[in-house]
Amino acid sequence: MRNKMFSTVFCFIALAGFVFAPSVLAAPPAKILVGEPATISGKHAKAGEQSVNGVVAIVDWVNNTYGGVKIGGKKVPLEYIKYDCESKKESVTSLLERLITVDKVHFTLAPYTSGLTLAGAPVAEKYGMIYLDHGGASNKIFQQGFKYIVQTIGPASNYHRGTLNMIKKTDPNAKTVALVYEDDEFARDVMAGAEAHAKKLGLEVVFQRTYPKGVTDLTPLLSAMKAAKPDFVIGGGHFQDGQLFNRQLADLDINPKALSLIASATLPAFYEALTTNAEGVMGPSHWEYGVKFSADGAKKAGMAWIGPSQDEFVALFKKAVGSDILPDYHAAEAGASILALVMAIEKVDSLDADTVRKALGDLTFMSFYGGWDIDETGLQVGHDMVDVQWQNGERVIVWPEDAKTGNFVYPMPTFAEKAKGVKAVPKK
Amino acid sequence: MVFEQLMGNLIQGLILGGIYGMATMGLSLIFGTLKVVNVGHGQFIMVGAFVTLWMFNSLGASPVLAIPLSFLIGMLLGFLCYYTFVKRLLKGPELASLLATFSVGIILEETVRLIFGSEFRGYDWALGKIKIPFTVLPYTKLIAFSGSILIAVLLFLWFKKTRAGTALRSVVEDSEGARVCGVNVDWQYALSFSLGLGLTVASGVLLTMFIPVGINPNMGGQYTLKAFVIAVLGGLASPYGAFFGGLIFGLIENGSYTLFALLPHVEPFALTRFFSFVILLVILLIRPTGLIATK
Repeated sequence: MRNKMFSTVFCFIALAGFVFAPSVLAAPPAKILVGEPATISGKHAKAGEQSVNGVVAIVDWVNNTYGGVKIGGKKVPLEYIKYDCESKKESVTSLLERLITVDKVHFTLAPYTSGLTLAGAPVAEKYGMIYLDHGGASNKIFQQGFKYIVQTIGPASNYHRGTLNMIKKTDPNAKTVALVYEDDEFARDVMAGAEAHAKKLGLEVVFQRTYPKGVTDLTPLLSAMKAAKPDFVIGGGHFQDGQLFNRQLADLDINPKALSLIASATLPAFYEALTTNAEGVMGPSHWEYGVKFSADGAKKAGMAWIGPSQDEFVALFKKAVGSDILPDYHAAEAGASILALVMAIEKVDSLDADTVRKALGDLTFMSFYGGWDIDETGLQVGHDMVDVQWQNGERVIVWPEDAKTGNFVYPMPTFAEKAKGVKAVPKK
Repeated sequence: MVFEQLMGNLIQGLILGGIYGMATMGLSLIFGTLKVVNVGHGQFIMVGAFVTLWMFNSLGASPVLAIPLSFLIGMLLGFLCYYTFVKRLLKGPELASLLATFSVGIILEETVRLIFGSEFRGYDWALGKIKIPFTVLPYTKLIAFSGSILIAVLLFLWFKKTRAGTALRSVVEDSEGARVCGVNVDWQYALSFSLGLGLTVASGVLLTMFIPVGINPNMGGQYTLKAFVIAVLGGLASPYGAFFGGLIFGLIENGSYTLFALLPHVEPFALTRFFSFVILLVILLIRPTGLIATK
């Protein structure tokens, strides 16, 4: 009787051990593999290259400074596996399948752009694979019921919220705004968020239009916008159309008091291409070199801190690129998504996708990139954007008040003044 | 107000259309002579844009000087392409030359990316602007438009008035007949291909005078599509037809925007593209050889 009872208990323990062994007792792997169908070539290569190097920089920090990811009592290095999706949706899906089924990665990163991120999400979902979104800001991604996608970039609907607040605060008499955006998932979400917030602030949207991707001439649209006489203009989509937008406003001599363009205006190439025509032009950004987030700041805010300091990140980024290029927000947000993953793995001491996903949902932290927190859908809600304005050839953070490195120049100089060499310089 | 906008847009459209037309002449010339569809057409335009950018930003040279240099580079690329693969593929299936030119386009894109990177670049050739009734025109756009017309006229005169041009026309009309009459058809093919690419690369310079920003290795694709529409509109094998096709395309694209903007709850830009293709389809149905028939 006693032997029978002992055997039963032994069998139960053995069975329980067999069932729970993979998650509790499995030895950690030699490497934690993170894969990405990265945007290395094609029309979005510019931002894609930044994000790839942002990931490389942070993987370098995790492996060589932090000592690896602590799991199962061991420090395990990260390995970043990437393939070029050529900015094509069909490549994203096939490469993601390859990363998951052939390379057997533990976690995946989404490629840059909302459209490409959305294209890969069903594949990650099919395999129950964590899919870290660092470059897909469209709110629509998080309205599909996907379980495994986690955003680090802020949602598109927030892009122009700060810009509108800043202009309204600076010029309470500003009444009319024109919203002109590219016709894609991301920009349409930005426009919807901007429209709602403008109305909330009591502004009248006097002109609202989209333009198609790959547009080569905005003259008809801008001429119609001129007739609506908006006080200020916000819009844009990606890099090429942003430069075109600014240039053709100058060509047609259309002079809004303020101009804010998403994606393009914050990049050095924007000013290099437009020179003085870019003076006073603004853009919202998720991160800018100069924004001061630190371990001390995190402590004061009651948040956990992880990752390199801003300067350390910049040095690692330059090492990754192999040249003296500053990282932009695409690099910072891609790197921060890896930091979130590291924190979540360490928190639950597991590589199981569901367990790590739950940990990501509970996670709140700060890094060089700023705050990080997601809601139940995976949408980023803990990261605030900054507004950057070109002043005398330099990018100056002008909003929010507690992060700004200079005052907002409003109204911006007219294009005729800019042609005569007038720069956007704050009044003393 | 609507009338003013319409007129302003038509003026802008005419200017852009002239440049589009010039940018399509090379495509039509190559197809007309060799029956080769250059799918990498837009990438050759991109080369011209980068030549201008490099000359202006690195050497401080006027974009006008980039026109002859780009033409020369295009001619050299043309001879190189012709004698390395086009000549061998002329008697092969059409798909072979289609894929070959597509490959060349990709090679050009990646080579330029390797040299210049994937940044979106631009240059600021500030010459001022002139206010005319209905709109404002930068002088750079006027120079680009004038350049397009001048090049189109020079090409016309070369074809009609020179011995070399006559030889080329004879090959276009009947290559076997021309061969019997002593015309070196192979040389005429090579000349035609390189002349076509010369015109295409030079048109990249003119395009940047109209839009001096957003210059990047991937910019060619959007112009390839437009060039095909324009070429079919004007007559795929007719360089002059292509020029007039460009003018019409520019007028349709810009002019129809104002009219579509009057309709409620529509995005006029999307309808403009739709309308351009409807016009294309109608012209193909009525006049399948394009507006200016070649034969």
